[in-house]
Amino acid sequence: MSRVLEIRDVWKRFRIPHERRTTILDHLASAASVLGGTTRYQYEEFWALKELNLALDQNQSLGIIGPNGSGKSTLLKLVANIMRPDKGEVLTHGMLVPVLELGIGFHRDLTVKENAIVYGVLMGIARSEMRKRIDPILEFSGLARFEDALLKNLSSGMQVRLAFSIAVETDADIFLIDEALAVGDEAFKAKCLERFREFKRQNKSIVLVSHDMDLVNAFCENSLYLKNGETRAYGPSNEITRQYVEASKRSEDASL
Amino acid sequence: MKNNHISHNLDVIFVLAQKDFKLRYRNSVLGFLWSLLNPLAYMILLTVVFSLLLRVNVPNFAAWVLIGLLIWRFFSLGTSQGLFSIVNNPSLVTKVYLPRYLIVLSNNLANLFSALLEFIIFIPLLTYLGVTPTVFFFFLPVIIALEFLLVFGLSLSLAPLNVKYRDFFQLWEVALQLGFFLSPVAYDSQLIPSRFRFAYSLNPVTGLIESARGIFLFQRLPSTFDLALVSVVVVILLGVGVLVFSSLENRLAEEI
Repeated sequence: MSRVLEIRDVWKRFRIPHERRTTILDHLASAASVLGGTTRYQYEEFWALKELNLALDQNQSLGIIGPNGSGKSTLLKLVANIMRPDKGEVLTHGMLVPVLELGIGFHRDLTVKENAIVYGVLMGIARSEMRKRIDPILEFSGLARFEDALLKNLSSGMQVRLAFSIAVETDADIFLIDEALAVGDEAFKAKCLERFREFKRQNKSIVLVSHDMDLVNAFCENSLYLKNGETRAYGPSNEITRQYVEASKRSEDASL
Repeated sequence: MKNNHISHNLDVIFVLAQKDFKLRYRNSVLGFLWSLLNPLAYMILLTVVFSLLLRVNVPNFAAWVLIGLLIWRFFSLGTSQGLFSIVNNPSLVTKVYLPRYLIVLSNNLANLFSALLEFIIFIPLLTYLGVTPTVFFFFLPVIIALEFLLVFGLSLSLAPLNVKYRDFFQLWEVALQLGFFLSPVAYDSQLIPSRFRFAYSLNPVTGLIESARGIFLFQRLPSTFDLALVSVVVVILLGVGVLVFSSLENRLAEEI
């Protein structure tokens, strides 16, 4: 059984400046006050992820759950190489496709077909391949008759369908999915779920960040429960999601 | 795998450059014609002011100034759009992993393509204005290629700096305004007193404009000295660009 993902002792820190300095003037002003000794350069260090270890084999899928701000999306971004860890290492093997947002690079003034090709290439499909697959993709999305329409004339649900139909066409070994399924109507959702079952049959791995416990239980053998950037629990999904739901209930009760 | 990466990067560059290029001309009825109107209007204006009113003694002033304008235009549009290439595409940085320099490079390539088209389209006008087509015209690609490297080198510094300092573009706008008058677009560089001549010619746009005028108007190849000087400055700016870019690249996803 081959490893597709390995995370070794990963730490990720964010710096949150006390006053947000985004202009040159802001930087100069704060540098002057630091040099003048009136204030110190102030920011809060915040560990978004601490001491994280994880391994995932081919054909296994992993659910990542936890309250907002617990580091779930940060973890996906580290795996996708969008951010680098401050300590530790993230190793991936095989082709990885991040579906952190549907429709990256979409532009309202380009046609459906033009957007589809740009997006497909950004998601890792070769341009020559994309030209061949464009028709089946548009067929799957149900948008074939709009191929020459400008994207801005499509509803947002249709745009998401287009993007999703392309993302699932990639030859990924690992899909990283961040709540991407939360959009779209019921019929399309069912179609997506069917595609994911097919991926499982094809031995592909899915790393899924979600607040939908049923979805996590249905697709992921194991789950990781994060809280404040730390691993709260890791194990079989049924067990872990139950712990999370109970913990959420308790904290709700406590706040009442 | 390595090979695969290169061909995928080329695909990404192609689709992003094509997208930038299409969008530039899609939103207007006149499309590409607009981009010709601007240099034409400036050519007429500068010819009226300098040649007719101030009686500047440059033979064939209209053609002479048009060549300067086209070279300047590629420089100023290329760098000012390169500067926004990352800020205007946050999802390409935060939601998917691409080598980030591809975003800058593809934007620069779209501008290169526009600049080449503008030159090609204006060649009939230049001949109408009395420029004789000669084999020296074939040297233009060398000049444009050098200018492209100049634009790319500067954009590599400007684009990530504009992410870190959101008002950086205002500085660059001022620099471009100064640059217009520090380059021999509308006046002859012979007017510069000889003791300032060397400092003046460190501006790489100067060498590019004079070389282009040489091949179009005076049937002469660019001087080795001019080309060498421009090349040295271009290489230095590329080196600085690579350093600035690689030191800011890793934090782009957090700061954008």
